[in-house]
Amino acid sequence: MILVIAEQRDGRLNRATWETIAGAQQLAGQTGAPIAVVVPGANSGGVAKELAAAQVKEIVTLEHAALEPYTPDGYTAALKEAIGALSPAHVLLPHTYQTRDFAPKLAARLDRALVTDVTAVKAAGGDTAFVRPMFQGKLTADVVPQGPAPHFVTFQIGAYRADQAVRGQSPAPVRALAVTVDAAAIREKPEAPFQQARQAVDLSQAERIVSVGRGIKEQANIAVAQQLAEALGAEIAASRPICDAGWLPMERQVGSSGQTVAPKLYLALGISGAIQHLVGMKGANTVVAINKDPDAPIFEIADYGIVGDLFEIVPAIIDAVKK
Amino acid sequence: METVAFWILVIAFAGAFAAQVARRVQLMAAAPATISLDHPGARASRFLIDVVLQRRTIRERPLAGIMHALVFWGFVAFGLYTTTEFLRGLGIVDLTHTGWFQAYRLALTPFAAGVLAGILFLLVRRAVLRPVGLGTKVSLESVVIALFIATLMITFLLAFRLDEASTAGRVNWWVHAVVILVFMALIPASKHLHLVLSPITVFLKSPELGNLPNLDFDKEQVGLETVKDLGSKSVLDAFTCVECGRCQVNCPAWGAGKELNPKAIILQTQEALLAGERERKLGEVYSEKVLWQCTTCGACENQCPVGIEHLPILIGSRRGLVSNGDAPDYLGAMYNNLERRSNIWGLGYDQRTKFVQSAALETFDASKHDVLVWLGCAGSFDADFQKSLRSLFSILRAKHVRFGVLAKERCNGDPAKRTGNEYMYQELANANIDDLKAAAPKKILTSCPHCVKTIGDDYRKFGYQVEIEHSSVFVEALLRQDGGNGAAGGRDVVTYHDPCYLGRYGGKVDEPRALLERFGAEIKEPQRNRDNPYCCGAGGGLLFADKEEEPGSRISDVRFKQLQATGAGTVVTACPFCSIMLKGAQASAGADTQFVDLMTFVDGKLAKST
Repeated sequence: MILVIAEQRDGRLNRATWETIAGAQQLAGQTGAPIAVVVPGANSGGVAKELAAAQVKEIVTLEHAALEPYTPDGYTAALKEAIGALSPAHVLLPHTYQTRDFAPKLAARLDRALVTDVTAVKAAGGDTAFVRPMFQGKLTADVVPQGPAPHFVTFQIGAYRADQAVRGQSPAPVRALAVTVDAAAIREKPEAPFQQARQAVDLSQAERIVSVGRGIKEQANIAVAQQLAEALGAEIAASRPICDAGWLPMERQVGSSGQTVAPKLYLALGISGAIQHLVGMKGANTVVAINKDPDAPIFEIADYGIVGDLFEIVPAIIDAVKK
Repeated sequence: METVAFWILVIAFAGAFAAQVARRVQLMAAAPATISLDHPGARASRFLIDVVLQRRTIRERPLAGIMHALVFWGFVAFGLYTTTEFLRGLGIVDLTHTGWFQAYRLALTPFAAGVLAGILFLLVRRAVLRPVGLGTKVSLESVVIALFIATLMITFLLAFRLDEASTAGRVNWWVHAVVILVFMALIPASKHLHLVLSPITVFLKSPELGNLPNLDFDKEQVGLETVKDLGSKSVLDAFTCVECGRCQVNCPAWGAGKELNPKAIILQTQEALLAGERERKLGEVYSEKVLWQCTTCGACENQCPVGIEHLPILIGSRRGLVSNGDAPDYLGAMYNNLERRSNIWGLGYDQRTKFVQSAALETFDASKHDVLVWLGCAGSFDADFQKSLRSLFSILRAKHVRFGVLAKERCNGDPAKRTGNEYMYQELANANIDDLKAAAPKKILTSCPHCVKTIGDDYRKFGYQVEIEHSSVFVEALLRQDGGNGAAGGRDVVTYHDPCYLGRYGGKVDEPRALLERFGAEIKEPQRNRDNPYCCGAGGGLLFADKEEEPGSRISDVRFKQLQATGAGTVVTACPFCSIMLKGAQASAGADTQFVDLMTFVDGKLAKST
C-alpha cells in the first residue's frame, strides 16, 4: 500500500497534497499498490470529503483533539500508530515546512529510510528510484531507498501538478482510524501563528501578472493594461519608473528594488528589461514581452516576444481572451 | 628679568602643548598598528606635491587654496626667524645682529604680507562667507587663531619701525612671543593640530586609494567592531582633520541628501577616542544606517588635503557589522546569490554559457590568444551590457586581436569586499586566482572598471599579479597604433560620465575621451568629472539598496541631472553599473536622454568608416 499524508490547517487543505497524490498515482502505476490518504488533525471531515474525489482506495482520518494545533510530537505519535495499522510500503508527503518539521523525526522513530525533496519517480530494475537534486541543483541523484518498508518520500513542491491527480468516478470511501495520543507527552506548546506584516499586495503568489513599463507612456494608458489583467484574471505590476511616477503604488513594483515574483505567466508590456527588473521575475514560467524596440533586453529572456505597438496588440489580446 | 620670565612662560606653554600631544600619541600607540612605509618614492612625491606645493588644497578651491598656501609657505619661512628670536629671548644665543639674519628678516617681509593677506581672506571666508563645508557654526577658536596669526605678522612688520630697546619695541616683541606661545598651547586640542600632523599624515597615507588590507582569518580578524579596533593610521587621521569639508561636499551620499558625511565620521572618531570610549561599538559611534550609505566612490579620501583615509574606517566598520550578522537584508540576498551562483544576480550559469555560444567566443588558450577577456557579472548576465561586449568583440575581431574567455567565471568579489563580507570576497578571489593562474593570460581585458580595480589591485594582496586593462584603454591604444580612423558622419554632441573605479581609482580619464574625440565627438563636460566624478550610486553594494533609499535621495537621480544639465542629448558610459543606475534614473525622470556605451559608440563609427 502507498500512504499519502495529507496536510491541512484549520480545515483547509494544503494544495500540495494533491501534487503528492499525483506522485502517488504514478508510483502506483509502477508498483500496482493501492493508495490510501491519511488526514491527521481535528475536524478533518471537510478535507477528507474533498480528497475523496481522488482516484484512491480510501481516505483515512486520524481525528484527535491533541492533533490540533499541529505539533511534531503529536503528529509523530499518531502517524506512527496509523502506519503500524496500515503497514504501507511507501509513505509519501509534500515537501512542505510542516513535513520538514516532523517527517525526519517520524522516519527516525520507525528507523526507516527517508528520501526528501524528490522531483520524479522512475523504475530502476525491479526497484523504484526517487530523483532528487543535489549540490544546489547542479546534479540529480536517483535514490533507491534500502532497508525494510515503509520508505518515506517527500515531493518537491511543483514536482507534480495538482491538476494531474486523477479523480475517481465515484468518491473514495472515508473511514476513521482511532489513534491514541497522549496530550501530556506533547512537549511543544505552539503559540498563535505569527503573521508577518504582509504587503497589501502579495505579487509573489500571483499565478498571472501583467506588468507595465515605461512604454505605456502615460498614466491614462494604465487602464489598457488593467483591462488585460482583468480579462486574464491577472495581477497588475510595474517596473520602477511607473511606480516612481506614482502611476501605480510602490507595492506593485517588480525587481531588485521591489517584489520578487514567480507567476506561471508574466506579460511584460513596454518593459525594456533592465537587469534590475529581470532579477525580480526570473522565476516566471512563461514570459511574454511586447515592446516596440526589437533590441530591448527583455526579448533575451522572453519565451514569446511581440515587436510592435502595445496599444494595437493589447486590445487584440483582450478581444481574443474574451472570445 | 625678562629672560627668566620668558623661560617660565616657554616651559609652561611648551608643557601644556606636550601634555596634550602626549595624550594623542598614547591613543595612537594603543591602537593596532596599521602604518606602512611601502612605496617610499610614491609617498615622497605626494609629500612634495600635496604638502610643499599644496596641490590638493588649491585644486578644488583655487582662491582659498592659494591664500592657504601663502599662509603655509609663510609659516615655513618664519621657522628659523622664530627659533632665532626664541634663542635670544631665552638668553642662549643672540644671532639677531648677524648680517645673514638681517637679510633673512628683510626677505621675510613679502612672506609676512602674503600671510597677512591670506589669513584675512580666510577669516572673512570663514566668518562672513561661510561655505557649507565648514559647518553651520562659526568656530570662535578659528577666528581667534586667525587674529593671532594676523597679530604675529603685524608685530613682525612693526618691529622694522620701532626701536627695539624702547618700551614700544619691547611690548611689540613680547606680544609676538606670547601670541606664539598661546597659539602653541591651543594647537593640540583644535583643528590646528594639522599644522603639526598633516605633513606626517600625508606621507603615511597609502599610495593606493581605498587601500584595505585583507583580513587574516587565522588571526581571527573580523574587522572593526569597537573604537579600540581602529588602526593607528585612523587615530592619526582623526587628530589631523582640519575640518575643511572637502570630503563632505564631494560625497555623493551627502550630496543626495543622505545622512552620511565623511567629515562627521572623522570627527566622531576623534570625539570617541578622546572620551576614552574604547569599547563603544562603531555601529553606534557612526550609526549603522550611515555606514551602509557609502558607495566607496573614494571622493572623500581622494580630495582630502591632509592625508585622511576614510575608506578603511567605513569598510572596516562594515566588516565588523557583517561579522556579527548585521548586514542589511538586501545584502543578505546578494550574498546568497554570490554563494550559490557566484554572481550578484543569482542567475543560472547556463545564461553565461548561452551568451558565450551566441557571441562565438573561444575558451582562452594562452598559446593561441593575445588577451583574455573577462566578462564579469554584467557581461555574463545583463543582456543590455552584453550589447557593449558584442561591440568590443567586433572591434577586436576587426583589428585581429586574438582573444578568449574563461570557461567559467565567478564574481571578482568587489561587492562582497566593499560591503565588508571579507570571507566571501576571499573565497571568490582565491577561486578566481586559481583559474587565472591555470589559464595564465599575459593580459586581461575587461569592460568593467570594478573588475579592473579588484583583479588588478586587490588580487595583488594575495600575491597574484596580472596586467588588466579597461576596454577603453585597450581599444584607444589599438586605434592609436592603427592611426587615422578620422571622423565618420556628423558631429555628435555627447557628455561622458567617468566611472569612479576608472577615473578616480584608475586615473584613466584621457583614453575614453580620446576615443570619443577620435571620431569627432564633442564632449560637454559635466560638473564633477575626470578624476573626481560624482558617483552613479551603484558602488559599495548600493546597486541593491534602491529599496532602502528614501524618496528624493537617490544618488543616481542627482548624477543624471548633472549629466542632463550639460545640454548634450547623449550620455556615454563605460561601466555596466553606471549604465544600470543612470538608465534607471533616466527612466524614472521620464527624460529623452540617449545612452550610448563607449564600445558601442566606437564600433558603430568603425563600421561606418570602413
